Amino acid sequence: MSSAAAGSKGFGTRAVQALALVVTFFLLFAATRLTPQLRGQLGTVAGFGFLLLAGTLLSELLETIGLPHLSGYLLAGIIGGPDLLELVDHHTVEQLSPVNTLALSLIALAGGAELKLSTLREVAKSLSYAMFTQTVVVGVVMTAALFFLGRFVPFFAGLHAGPMFGIALLWGVLCITRSPSACMGILAQTRAKGPVATFALAFIMSSDIVVVVLVAVAMMLARPLISGSGGFSLHAVSELGHELLGSIAFGTTLGLALAAYLKLVGRGLLLVLLAMGFALTDFLRYVKIDATLAFLVAGFVVQNLTAQGPKLLHAIEQTGSFVFVVFFANAGAHLNVPLLQKFWPIALTLCVIRALATYVAARISSRFAGDEPMLVRWGWSSLVSQAGLALGLAITISTAFPGVGDGFRSLAIAAVAINEMIGPVLFKFALDRAGETRREEAEISRTSLLPPAQA
Amino acid sequence: VSGGIAVLLGLLVVAFVSSMLVGGRTIRGFGLPSGAEYLVLGVAVGPHGLGLVPRSTADGFEPIVVCGAAWLALVAGLGYFIVGQRRVRFVRAVTGILGAAFVGTLVAVALFLTLDALGISGGFPRLELALGAGFVGSETTRHTVRWVAERHGARGPLSDWLADMARASALVPVVGLGILFAIAPDAPLGAFAVWWRVAVTLGIGVVMGLVAAVLLGREFRRDESWGILLGTSLLAAGVATRLGLAAVATLFAMGLTLSVVSRHRLEIKFMVQPTEKPVLLPVVIVVGSCVDFDTLPQLWLLVGVALAARLVAEFMRGALLAAFLPAARAAGPRVGLGMASSGAISLALAFTFSARLPGPASSTVLLLAATGVLLGEFIGPAELRRALERAGETHAFDAASDVAPLSLPSPALQDADSELPERTVVSDFPEGR
Repeated sequence: MSSAAAGSKGFGTRAVQALALVVTFFLLFAATRLTPQLRGQLGTVAGFGFLLLAGTLLSELLETIGLPHLSGYLLAGIIGGPDLLELVDHHTVEQLSPVNTLALSLIALAGGAELKLSTLREVAKSLSYAMFTQTVVVGVVMTAALFFLGRFVPFFAGLHAGPMFGIALLWGVLCITRSPSACMGILAQTRAKGPVATFALAFIMSSDIVVVVLVAVAMMLARPLISGSGGFSLHAVSELGHELLGSIAFGTTLGLALAAYLKLVGRGLLLVLLAMGFALTDFLRYVKIDATLAFLVAGFVVQNLTAQGPKLLHAIEQTGSFVFVVFFANAGAHLNVPLLQKFWPIALTLCVIRALATYVAARISSRFAGDEPMLVRWGWSSLVSQAGLALGLAITISTAFPGVGDGFRSLAIAAVAINEMIGPVLFKFALDRAGETRREEAEISRTSLLPPAQA
Repeated sequence: VSGGIAVLLGLLVVAFVSSMLVGGRTIRGFGLPSGAEYLVLGVAVGPHGLGLVPRSTADGFEPIVVCGAAWLALVAGLGYFIVGQRRVRFVRAVTGILGAAFVGTLVAVALFLTLDALGISGGFPRLELALGAGFVGSETTRHTVRWVAERHGARGPLSDWLADMARASALVPVVGLGILFAIAPDAPLGAFAVWWRVAVTLGIGVVMGLVAAVLLGREFRRDESWGILLGTSLLAAGVATRLGLAAVATLFAMGLTLSVVSRHRLEIKFMVQPTEKPVLLPVVIVVGSCVDFDTLPQLWLLVGVALAARLVAEFMRGALLAAFLPAARAAGPRVGLGMASSGAISLALAFTFSARLPGPASSTVLLLAATGVLLGEFIGPAELRRALERAGETHAFDAASDVAPLSLPSPALQDADSELPERTVVSDFPEGR
C-alpha cells in the first residue's frame, strides 16, 4: 500500500478500518475464549488470517501518525501474540515459520534484483568506505561495550576476562548485522528514491556477505577463548569458502534459469516463487549452501545480466504483498515480552551505544568518501534495524557455545526486539526528512517495479 | 529434503500445470469435467496404489486441503449468482436447490434404511453416514453442463436451465455439511443449541463477508484486495474450524455475502476465479490418496445402494423436469441422469467431513464421494449430451469459435459489466492465485 494511496484516505475510511480491526480482534478473541481447550487445533489458519488482516489494518491506521507499515505489522503481532492477548499461541507462531522462510527468500531475491550495477558503481566509493568503517567501528565499540558492561550482564557472572572477551567479540559481530527485510519493507511501502534509499539498499544487501564471513571468523577466534581448549583451525575457513563460492555459483545458475523461464514462459510466477521459497530453500540447507546469499545473487544476475529484472521484481512485489505482512506480524508475535522486560535496561543501553557507534562511523566514512549532505545526515538511519538475520546468528552462536548460549541468545533477542521496533521508524523518518518519499514521487512506481507492459 | 516438502513441491507442480491450462484457450472441453482423472491419479499415488504418498504424509496435508476446500467454497459462493456473464434466474436457482435436496434426501434415506437392515452401526454414526452420503450425493458439478455445452456447441433454454440448476445445487451440500458439523456430538460449542451453532457457522461468514465488502468498498486496489480477501477468508475459516464448525459453509456464506453486497463483486469474482483450478486439482489428488477401501464390512453393498439411489433420484428429477418444464419435455426423463455428475465440491466436502469427524462412517462417505464422481463421469456428460440433442440445442454454434454458449449477457448484467475494470487491470491480477 503506497503512501500516496493512503494519503488520500479520509476519516470515513479510517473509521471503517478501525471498526474492521475491532471485529477482527473480537472474532478471534471470542473463539479462543470459547474453546480454550482446543488451542493449537488448526489455529495456524486463523493465526495467518488474523496476522494478515490485523497487520494490514493496523498499519493503515498507524500511518496517520507517520509510522511505517512495518510498525503496524509488528504491533499487530505483539498485541495478538502469546504474551499479550494470546490470540496467536506459541504453537501457531512456530507453525508459521515456513512463511518466514518464504519471505526471507523473496526479500533476498528482491534485494539482489534491486541492486543495479550502474547504481553500485555510482555509490561504490561511499559503499566501500562505509562498509569498512561501519564494520570496524561498530564491531570494536560493541565488543568493548559488552566487555566493560559485563558486570551488568547476568550470564557474565563468574567468568574470567578471556571468555568474557570471546563472548563480547561475538556480540560485536552480531551488532554488525542489519535487517534487509526492514529495509525492503520500508522501501516497498514508501517507494523512496534518492541517495539515502539507494545507499541503504546497496549497503544492507551487500553487507550480508561481510557478515557471513565475519561470523565464521569470530566464532573461530572466540572458541578457544570461551571453551579454553582447542586452537585455531583452518578447516572452518575452508568450509566457509566452499559455502560462499557454492552459494554464488548456485545463485548465478538459478538466476540464469529464472531469467530463461521469465523470457520463455513468463506465467505462473507465483507458484515458481513459492516452490523456490519452500522447496529450494530446504534443498539448499540440506546441501549446506547459504540460501539468502544464493537468492541474492540470483536476483542480481536476473537484473544485471538479463532484461527480465523488472518482470521479476513485479512478480515478487505481487507475491510479497501479503507474505511480508504475515512475516513481520509473526515476528511481532514471536517477540518475547517477558524476556524484554527482564533485559531491557542492559539491552537498551547496548542499543543506544550501537546507534551512536553507527552514527559516528557513518560521519567518518562520509567525510572520507565526500558524500552529499543528505547522505551525510541520514545515511546511518537505515543501519539501526535488526531482525531475522541477527536472531539467526544468535541461535547459531548459542548452539555453538552452549555454556553461555542461553544468556547470549536472550540478550540478543531483547536487543534485536528494540532495534526491530525503533529502526524502521527511524529509517522512514529519515526518508521523509530527506524528501525521498514525496507524494508526487510516490504516485509513480519505481521504474524497476513497473509491470513489464509499462516499463 | 523431507518427504512433506517433496509432496508439496509435487502439488505445486500440479497447480502450476493446471494454472497453465486454465490460462490458455485450450481449457474449453479439455480434460474431464469432474476432474476424475486427478482423483484416479491421487488413488494411484496413494497408499492403495503405488504408495508414493503414504497415509501419514497425506494426513499432514489435511489442514491445507481443508483450507483449499474452504477456498473452493468461497469461489463457489462468489460466483453463485452468475453463469458466464449472466445472472442466475431465481426460479431456476430454487428448482436447482429443491432438486438437489430431493436427490440428497433420497440417497440419505436409502442408505439409512440399508444400514438399519444390515445392523452395521447405530446412533450418530448411522445418521452421520446417511446424511453425509446424502449431502455429497446431492451436488451436480457446474463444470459438466458447461463442458458439454462448449464441447457440443449447445445453446438454448434447457442448457441455461441446467447450468443454473447445477450452480444452485452447491448450496445443499455446503449448508448440509454446516448442519452436520453442528449436530456432531463432540462439537466444542456443545453448550449451545444446534440452531445457534448453524447460525454461528453462517454468521461468521456473513460478518467477514461484510467486513471484506466494506474494506474493499472504498477503492479497489489489487495489492490491498488480496491481503484483505485472504485475511478475512482465512480468519473466518480458522475460527469456524476452531469452533468445530464447517469452514466450507462459513466461506460459502462469506462468498455469497460478498457477491450480494459488494459493489466490486465482479472484480472480486474475476480476481479469485483463476485460483479455482490451481487449488482444486491438488485438493482432488490429495483426496484421492486418502480414499480408504477398507472401512466398513459390506462396504461395496453400501456404495452400490448409494449410487443406485442417486441414479433413481436423478431419473425421478428428470421426469419431474420433463413433466413441468417445457424446455425439457423433448429431452425426456433421462435428462435427470445428465445431472448425476458430481465433482470437486463433493470430494472436498467429503474430505472436510472425514477430517472433522474421523472414523469409518466419514471414510465411507469419502469413498462414496469418490465413486460417485467416477460413476457420474461415465453417465452424466453422455446423458446430458443426448438430452440436449433431443432438445435440439446442440451444434447451435461453432464450438471452435470464441463465443461461449452460456455467457449471453442479460440486460441486467450488461449494466454490471460496466463496473468491470479495464482488461489490463484484470489481467494484472497474479496468475494462479
